[in-house]
Amino acid sequence: MLKFVVRRLLQMIPILAILSVLLFLFIHSLPGGPAIALLGERATEEGIEQIEEDLGLNDPLPVQYTRYMKNVLQGDLGSSTRTRQPVVEELKQRFPATVELGLAAMLFAVVVGIPLGFIAAKRYLGVLDNTSLFLSLIGISFPVFFLALLLKYLFAIKLGWLPTIGRIDVTRGLDTPTNFYLLDAAMARDWEAFKDVLRHLVLPAIALGTIPLAIVTRITRAATLDVLNEDYVRTARAKGLDPSVVDRRHIMKNAMLPVVTIIGLQTGLLLTGAVLTETVFAWPGVGSWILDAIRNRDYAVLQGGILFFAVMVAVVNLLVDVSYAFLNPRIRLR
Amino acid sequence: MSIAQAEARELILEQPAGLWSDAFDRLKRNPSAILGGVLILTFVLTAIFAPWIAPHGPGEQVGSLSGNGIPPGDGHLFGLDKQGRDYFSRVVYGARLSLLVGVVSVGVGLSLGLLLGATAGYFGRWVDNLIMRAMDVVLSVPAFLLAIGLVTLLGRGLVQIMIAVGLTTVPIFARLLRGSILAQRESEYALAARSVGVPGRRLLLRHILPNSISPVIVQGTLTVATAIIEVAALSFVGLGPADPGLPEWGKMLADSASRLESGAHLVLFPGMAIVISTLGFNMIGDGLREAIDPKLRS
Repeated sequence: MLKFVVRRLLQMIPILAILSVLLFLFIHSLPGGPAIALLGERATEEGIEQIEEDLGLNDPLPVQYTRYMKNVLQGDLGSSTRTRQPVVEELKQRFPATVELGLAAMLFAVVVGIPLGFIAAKRYLGVLDNTSLFLSLIGISFPVFFLALLLKYLFAIKLGWLPTIGRIDVTRGLDTPTNFYLLDAAMARDWEAFKDVLRHLVLPAIALGTIPLAIVTRITRAATLDVLNEDYVRTARAKGLDPSVVDRRHIMKNAMLPVVTIIGLQTGLLLTGAVLTETVFAWPGVGSWILDAIRNRDYAVLQGGILFFAVMVAVVNLLVDVSYAFLNPRIRLR
Repeated sequence: MSIAQAEARELILEQPAGLWSDAFDRLKRNPSAILGGVLILTFVLTAIFAPWIAPHGPGEQVGSLSGNGIPPGDGHLFGLDKQGRDYFSRVVYGARLSLLVGVVSVGVGLSLGLLLGATAGYFGRWVDNLIMRAMDVVLSVPAFLLAIGLVTLLGRGLVQIMIAVGLTTVPIFARLLRGSILAQRESEYALAARSVGVPGRRLLLRHILPNSISPVIVQGTLTVATAIIEVAALSFVGLGPADPGLPEWGKMLADSASRLESGAHLVLFPGMAIVISTLGFNMIGDGLREAIDPKLRS
C-alpha cells in the first residue's frame, strides 16, 4: 500500500512538470499582458515598457520559466502583479475558503444523494424512483449560476433567512489562523461565530452541491441495482440475515465502489462550479481569484493557482484509489 | 406455390428490426424521452420561427429606459428590460443563438473527436498511445476552465466561442469512439470482412464505424445540453459574445444579476429558458441511451 502511494506520488512529478510548461506557454500567449491590464486605457508605450522591464517580461521565455521554477522549488510562487501580494500568502487565505465550500457541497451531495439513490433502487420503477430520476435530470440541467441566483433571491433577499454574500459577518472579529472559518470558530469556542459561518455556507454549498447530488443519486441507484440481484445477496437473505444487515454489509458496501469513483471525479467539476458560485456569493475563494487573474493577466496568480489545483486534483484521485482497497479487499494496490 | 415456398417467402418478408427502428420503438414508449422530444421541438420551432413569435425585434426599444426594467404585464408577457426592450422577444430570439451555439459546438467537438478517435482506434499502437495520452492531458483540465482559457486566447467572437466550447468536448468523443471501435475491430463480422478481402478503409468506414457510432450519438445529445450551459456560463463571467446587443441567455442573466431585488424577472426568464432547453436534450439523451442499449434489445 505504502509502496503504491509513493510510486503514484513520484509519477505525478513528470506530469506536473509538463503541465507547468504548457501552462506557462499558454499564459504568456494570452493577448494583452499584465502591463496593459494594470495601466488600462491610459497605457503609454513607455509605461508598458517600464512595467514589463520591472516584471522581467522582456527576457526570453525559457529564461523566465527557469527563473520561475527555481523560485517555485523554494516555495515562492511569485507575487500578484495586481495586488503585489505574494501568491503563497493569498493562496493560504483563499484555498481554505474554496475547500470549505467544496467539502460542504460534497457533504450535501453525499448525505442526501446516497440514501436517495439507495431507496430509489430498492423501489425500482416505483413512484419514488421515477421522481428522483426526474429530479436528478432537472438537477443536471440547472446552470450553477442560475440556481445560485435563485437561492440567493428566495432565501436571502425575499425571505431574509440567510446572508447574501461572503463567508462571515464583516463586523465579527474572528481570529482565523487556519482560514477554515468553521474550524477557527470551533477552536476559539466562539459558537455565535460558528453559527454565523454556517449560515453563510448553506446557500453556496447547496448551489454548488446540486449537480454532484444529481450525479451521486443516479450512480448510487444504478450501482445498487447492479448489486441487488447478485447471488451473494440472495444467499445472505436466504440464510435469514437481518434485512438491514444485508442492506448495509452486502449491498451498500459493494455498491459504493462506483460512487466513490464519481465523488473523486467531481473535484474538477467542483472547481468549475466554484468559479460561478463564488462569483454570485462574493465568496473569497480560488475560483473567483483565478477568474480575476485571467481578466487582469495576473501571470503569477494564474500559474500558481492553477498548478496548485492540479496537485489537489491529483491527490484526490490518489485518495480515491486508496479508498478502493478499503472498500473492496479483492483489489490489491500495486 | 408449395408450402415450403410460402414459408420461405414469409421468412424473407419478416425482416429483422434494425437497431434504429428498434430503438425508436422503445423511445416512443418512454414518457420521459417523449417529454424531452416535445421540449426540444418547442425549442427548435421557437428558434426557427422567432421573427413570427416575437412581437418585437430583439434590439427594438419599445418602452422607456429604466434602472430595473418593468415587470411582466401591460401587454408585455415577460416585461421590459432596462433598455426598454420587450423581454419576451429577446428570450425568443435567444433560442436561435443557443440552438446555433449548442449544435455548432457539438459539431466541432464531434467531428474532431470522431477523426481522432477513429484514427486511434483503427491504427492502434503508437498512434493510439499518442492521441489518447494527449486527450488525457486535455481531460485533466476542467472543461469550463479550458473554455475560459481558449476564449481568452481566441477572442470573444461568437465563432471563437463555439470553437472553444467545441474543443473542450473533443476528448470525450475521441475516447468513446476509440473504445467502441476497439471492441468492434475484434468482432467476428470484422474478421469475416477482412478474410474476404475488404480493404482497410472500406472496412473502417462501411462496417466498423456504423456499428460503433451509437454511444457517440447518445453522448452528442447530452453534450448539446452541456454546450448551451457552458456558453451561458462564459457569458455570465463576462466572456460571452462581445456584441452587447446579442440576446444571449447567459448574458441577459448576468446583466441583471446585480438587480435581483427589483428586477427578478430579468433573471428568471432567461434562466428558465436555459433550463428548459437543456432539460430537453438531457431527457432525450437519457432515453436514447436506454433505447439503444444492446443489453435491452429483445
